[in-house]
Amino acid sequence: MKSWERKQKYKINFSETSRYSLLFLGLFITVIPMLYMIISSLKDNKSTFSYPPKLFPGLDEITFQNFTYILNNENFNNYLMNTLFVAFVTVLIAAVISSLLAYTFARFIFPGKRILYGMIISVMLIPGLAMIIPQFEMAVKFNLVNNLWGVILFYSAWVTPFTTFLLRGYIEDNIPRELDEAIYMDGGSIFTVYRYVMVPMASPAIAAVSILNFLFPFEELGWSQTILKSDEIRTLPVAITMFFQAHNRTDWGYVFAMASLSMVPVIIFYLVLQKYFISGLSSGSIKG
Amino acid sequence: MISIAGKKTIRKINWRVYILLIPGLLFVSIFTFYPIAKMLIMSFFNWKIGYQQVSDFVGLDNYKNVLTDPIARKAMVNTLVYAVVTVPLQIVFGLLIAVLINGTKRFSVTFRLGYYLPVITSWVVVALLFKYIFSNQGLLNFFLSDILHIVDGPVGWLSTRWSALFIAMLLGIWKGIGWNMIIFLAALQAVPKEYYEASSIDGLNRRQQFFYITLPSIRGTILFALVMLCIGAFNTYTPIAVLTGGNPAHETEVVLTWMYFQTFNATGKMGYSAALSMIIAATIILITIAIFISLAREEN
Repeated sequence: MKSWERKQKYKINFSETSRYSLLFLGLFITVIPMLYMIISSLKDNKSTFSYPPKLFPGLDEITFQNFTYILNNENFNNYLMNTLFVAFVTVLIAAVISSLLAYTFARFIFPGKRILYGMIISVMLIPGLAMIIPQFEMAVKFNLVNNLWGVILFYSAWVTPFTTFLLRGYIEDNIPRELDEAIYMDGGSIFTVYRYVMVPMASPAIAAVSILNFLFPFEELGWSQTILKSDEIRTLPVAITMFFQAHNRTDWGYVFAMASLSMVPVIIFYLVLQKYFISGLSSGSIKG
Repeated sequence: MISIAGKKTIRKINWRVYILLIPGLLFVSIFTFYPIAKMLIMSFFNWKIGYQQVSDFVGLDNYKNVLTDPIARKAMVNTLVYAVVTVPLQIVFGLLIAVLINGTKRFSVTFRLGYYLPVITSWVVVALLFKYIFSNQGLLNFFLSDILHIVDGPVGWLSTRWSALFIAMLLGIWKGIGWNMIIFLAALQAVPKEYYEASSIDGLNRRQQFFYITLPSIRGTILFALVMLCIGAFNTYTPIAVLTGGNPAHETEVVLTWMYFQTFNATGKMGYSAALSMIIAATIILITIAIFISLAREEN
């Protein structure tokens, strides 16, 4: 091996090594708080409150009592079922409505199209929580206070603009018009095109944006704590916050056990759909 | 030219299109257009909730009250600082990690999952976690005082304005990097490989390739991330509500926590909150327009 070849090889190896070490360092920094949370949830409450804090419990100190307590005592299943219900229905409503809107805006010319689309996109710019007063009045009027549909309907409406934006870009970029034409040639209507071209072909993008929409009910606090007042209909973000306030500074082990458990459905949902995530997001709307 | 344009306008409009359009439009109108319009109206009234209450028209008084309110101003400054600090840092770190991951052959699924983990974790959960880590008896104080001996006693990280905001920004950046990483990874994978091959034949090194090929190719994504992150920064509610609740003495309020407080904890301030909401919305719209204009100017 000539000396310059060796030098080059060494250089490549070095850059690969530094690349991986940087990535693992970053990964460590990223996941360490989460690991710390899970570790803390495995300690009994006395040691989570002890000072100096023990980073790692001894193997004999590991206990699942926080988890069993949460699962048995705190209506956790109820909160989880509420949140899952809200999440699935929100994902479904947003997917149906946004894909219809996206298909229309991507493929047809009709009067007022630009203005309508502009209005829908502008909604994306305004925080959902900023509209809280009129929304609360509406919720009172339509009997949506203390009602899971009160969060479902508003969540779906809040996520619809972004979902529409993403799906429109994906349809324009990734679904050839020839497919539409082929359906029309066979005598199909625009509904046939929607059902047999748009829905199947846009499914990676629908899956990708559904991951984000699914997460939303698991983390939105402002609106849900406003209208979900009674305990039996609370979603997880409200329940965890209330639980934390009730057990302030004493039972971190319980809080973290509850918090860790609440992450599980979202992580499963992400793992199931993650293979679509990158491809579904690489649409023209993002690339600009 | 004229005939093409003419053809476009006279193309027969398929009435069925409206069937596709109406459910979505109706839904969005009821649950977003209507509240926004109502909010705009409320912001000009001394709005009263309740049966047979008369709301007085007060013109721009609510806006004047918001803009002269020292706490509202403080909340706006806090929100702007939060945006100015967290948005660029999220983009830089997200892009850096995406570039690093894009070239890897091994562990790429591990990296994608690991770095994305904070994004798919609820804001409530991560905010509580940071509250624990930075509390008086928390991990950070333990390291600083008992291991490194830098400080004498526990530092109240969450009890003064800028250190609490610093923690909130740290949380925002930490949670947001994964989202940027995924978005940029998607963009990087769409850059044609031939560009890199051709440029390395021309003798460009990695750094030059990054600045002359990668960055121009993903401009649109950077713009997209910029706009989305600015929206997100102004949408900050949960981390502040959980970390500090706006305390001490409203020092750490951001616009949404202050609006929420005014709506539900102070009485008869509906008009004030509505005006504040309109100001938030107008600010975001102006920022977005500014980003687009500056980009368009750069292209010319």
